[in-house]
Amino acid sequence: MAGGKVENAAIAGIACAVPKSLKTVAHEQKVFGEKEANRIAKNVGVFQRRVATDGICTSDLCYSAAEKLLENLSWDRHSIDLLVFVSVTPDYVAPATACTLQHRLKLAKHCAAFDITHACTGYIYGLWTVAHLLSPGTLKRALLLVGDTVTRLVSPGDRSVASIFGDAGSATAMEWDNSAPPMFFELGTDGGGAQHLMVKAGAFRHPATAATRIRTEREGGNVRSDEDLFMSGTDIFAFTLREVPPLTQKVLEHAGWDLTDVDAVVMHQANLFIINYLAKTMKIPKEKVIEDLADYGNTSAASIPMVLAGKLAERLASSYQRLVLLGFGTGLSWGGVAMTCRPVVVPAITEVEGDDISR
Amino acid sequence: MTRAEFLQALEESFEVDQGTLEGNETLEDLECWDSMSALIYMALADEKLGITVSGEQIINCKTVNDLLDLLDDKLAA
Repeated sequence: MAGGKVENAAIAGIACAVPKSLKTVAHEQKVFGEKEANRIAKNVGVFQRRVATDGICTSDLCYSAAEKLLENLSWDRHSIDLLVFVSVTPDYVAPATACTLQHRLKLAKHCAAFDITHACTGYIYGLWTVAHLLSPGTLKRALLLVGDTVTRLVSPGDRSVASIFGDAGSATAMEWDNSAPPMFFELGTDGGGAQHLMVKAGAFRHPATAATRIRTEREGGNVRSDEDLFMSGTDIFAFTLREVPPLTQKVLEHAGWDLTDVDAVVMHQANLFIINYLAKTMKIPKEKVIEDLADYGNTSAASIPMVLAGKLAERLASSYQRLVLLGFGTGLSWGGVAMTCRPVVVPAITEVEGDDISR
Repeated sequence: MTRAEFLQALEESFEVDQGTLEGNETLEDLECWDSMSALIYMALADEKLGITVSGEQIINCKTVNDLLDLLDDKLAA
């Protein structure tokens, strides 16, 4: 596994934005029947989630989060040298969404901007990349924009994904700081399992055609097209059982911590059943495992920053927090970080309506 | 853990009455068998017996007995 210690990079603030539009378990009851919808909701822990309607894109949510964060930090926009956007739901095939966001956020032309394609492990990849790029001190300030609008990739007739996902975007402000506590990373990949969590058609291997758009009945009565997200829940669960406990152990070892040193563990919000089982098998005390599934569901790349800017907002704004963040999913990929976070700026989560957007 | 004890643990986790599962039931016909119960079965196999069952293995199972057969090495006679 790749990873290691990164010094001289600190988080200065975290903000999130979600679509105003809500879907509750009542919606799934109409599609799958009351009994099955309730059973799924209880097990996956999702009772409502935010849904990007009216063409809201991930970039719109990240833009709103970034505006709020910059306002609260009072950062001069010209002081930002780097913008990284992490998502599997970009605006265009080309260019990188990061370039369009540089312009929308009125950042300087000396700002470097690029995209990283990752979902559930996206926040860890973003932190790792940006921390490394800031560490030498040539770049002083960076915006890490991470999010997804997975509900736009989901077939409403596919019970394995229909009631789990929500949409969200995040902005994390990071800066070079030679007094910052080090971050300890661990990352890994198993592309052999790529097909277990995949949107097969719509890019270049299988370009979109009239046929790839047609939704047909597949395994277990699930209805889906090749342009919709496919997830094999059992294969993903087997993968998390195999990879996440050793990942956590490695990250703790790098930092020289054991679980008693940790204030909060934030896992990718896959679903409640997986989080609870992983916590149990890794013997992490329940009060240290923070989740927000009931209100927001699985927000893909945004799920870790959503917990930071939501459930952990007060603690992060007022105190030092020793955090273990764990991402795992599409790729298949996994990544974790152990880091001491000094008090940071955490504005309240903002809501975005379709009408608000100036694209 | 014996086969009977694992069956009982499955019943508890699936929240069905004791005695609902005997082994020869066809999974397709079981009301309590869906994608979520597959994860519950996997978690039990991992927790109680230290066996990680793959998605492919589960797809090939037709009956409750097939699920138990995957764990045969670790189940007491």
